[in-house]
Amino acid sequence: MNARKSFYLVVVFWLLIFSGFIAYKEYTLQSGKEVLLKTEPVDPRDLFRGDYVTLRYEISALDLGHGQAEDTDYMNYKNNGRIYLALQLKEGYAVPKKIYKNPPDGELFIKGRAKGITYERPEGKASMPPVPKLRVEYGIESYFVPEGLGEEIERLRWENKRIDVLVAIDRFGNAAIKKILIDGNEFKY
Amino acid sequence: MLNEDLVQKWLDEGTIDQHQAGKMRSDLAQYSLERRSRKRTTAFSIIGVVLIGIGAILFVASNWQRMGDVFRVLLLVASTLGVHYAGYLLRYEKEEGKYNRNRIGRALIFLSSLLFGASLFLIAQIYNINANESTLILIWILGALPLVYGYQSAPIAGLCAILSFLWIVLLHGERIDLNKFIEIWDLCLISGIGLYLIGLLHELWERTRSASMPIKFIGLQATLLFLFVFTFQHHRLSVDPMVSVVYALLSVLLLAAVLFSRSIRTGLSGFREDLSMLSMPAIAFLMAAINLTRIYSPLSDKAYMAIFNIIFLALLILLLYAGYGREDFRTIYSTLFWLMLLIFARYFDFFWEMLPRSIFFAVGGLILLAMSVIMDRKRRELKIQFARTGGRN
Repeated sequence: MNARKSFYLVVVFWLLIFSGFIAYKEYTLQSGKEVLLKTEPVDPRDLFRGDYVTLRYEISALDLGHGQAEDTDYMNYKNNGRIYLALQLKEGYAVPKKIYKNPPDGELFIKGRAKGITYERPEGKASMPPVPKLRVEYGIESYFVPEGLGEEIERLRWENKRIDVLVAIDRFGNAAIKKILIDGNEFKY
Repeated sequence: MLNEDLVQKWLDEGTIDQHQAGKMRSDLAQYSLERRSRKRTTAFSIIGVVLIGIGAILFVASNWQRMGDVFRVLLLVASTLGVHYAGYLLRYEKEEGKYNRNRIGRALIFLSSLLFGASLFLIAQIYNINANESTLILIWILGALPLVYGYQSAPIAGLCAILSFLWIVLLHGERIDLNKFIEIWDLCLISGIGLYLIGLLHELWERTRSASMPIKFIGLQATLLFLFVFTFQHHRLSVDPMVSVVYALLSVLLLAAVLFSRSIRTGLSGFREDLSMLSMPAIAFLMAAINLTRIYSPLSDKAYMAIFNIIFLALLILLLYAGYGREDFRTIYSTLFWLMLLIFARYFDFFWEMLPRSIFFAVGGLILLAMSVIMDRKRRELKIQFARTGGRN
């Protein structure tokens, strides 16, 4: 292969990567159903992409009991294994309905990866034994902001402002963040 | 290489006459002038390219909002392709002239590979792809690889080797299963040895040979770095027997690659060079054995520390021996650097508690000064010695 062919190949290959990347995310944003998720943010920094807010959702720790999981044996949820969480809308927010190991038919669902089991006591019931919770990541755990603004979002959280995230979920369960809402209003910078 | 001493020697012996010596001297002067100019161009190009690359990454990291997302992506993607095209033109389409276009072209192609990464991170930032996502680094490596093989670019091969480490470390943080299977230092050491193996395999084909040296060099330095980490007392070894299997497999593959490359290499191969190459399968084999002892018959932390110090020192001595044999400055310098670091680390380990702080630092400073003087003197001696015999520099 001569240099000219290499040049054309590189240009086409790079353009394919850029456009494929953009098209993949745009598909989710444009065709996906919008849902609101409740969060708990903190403010770290990425080496290449600067400040971001780490988002932990209510759906990041799932209860495997109470008929919420297709498979209730938490030993069967392998680390980094794929899970599909069916969602239902409750008071304007998307909340867990059922955990599946395969994409469910006819339901709104979000695709995630199991990240281990943690043991947590039910809120306000310190005397009860801790229950296993499945930790899940959905690929929407980071929200990038201009330098220094992460601290502002963190401050708002300490002021007990309600921070929600509007996400779009496509029919394959892929999710993408559309915007952050502070007390119901879009956070703009 | 031909030098002034050699010309004088030939003149004294009567091999050449005054006229020929004069012609040789003037050609030598012209050659060294050109060489200096090329080196200057290379140095400035590298500094410029690195600064622009850092600037592009910082531009992405600052998440500057005065420009819209679409404009920022278009700007960075267009810059990436534009710089790549300019690099291609200067490297392949224009004749080599007095401005060393060839070198500038190579530098621009390298810059385009950095800008490709910056563009990728910008898109990932706009779409809020999770932070420290290893897949992005993997895509960067995949995007840069066609440049390594298409243009035979050694610096981009080096970049890919460094990125592969970053990818492995991020992957280890992301994957709990990998995290439980292997300790990070073991994984890094395996990656270093594996990288050396990949570099060795690149030596086998003419088309990939240019990538061999930087990959091997980075693999060797990474192996030394992570082996150095093991020379400290407090570290953990992996307890899964499969880690030993991976080390053993690497050892066998490395041995096969060394023997195979020796059988097809001609000319430069010598006993000393093979000896340094054989040190890598030996390290992999020893690591397999040490990890097994950890599982089936654990020793004390101090015993492991002593074993790793002996292995590290033996490897450095072997590399120095091979470096002197091949008259290879790069190997000698880097090995001396690690030797200095080892001496200093052990000085800290043994004397930190023993000596009063003032004496500790004063003696430490004196040791460092003495070592730098010895190293500089040795460098001068080697330069003169290797110049006489025409060694690599």
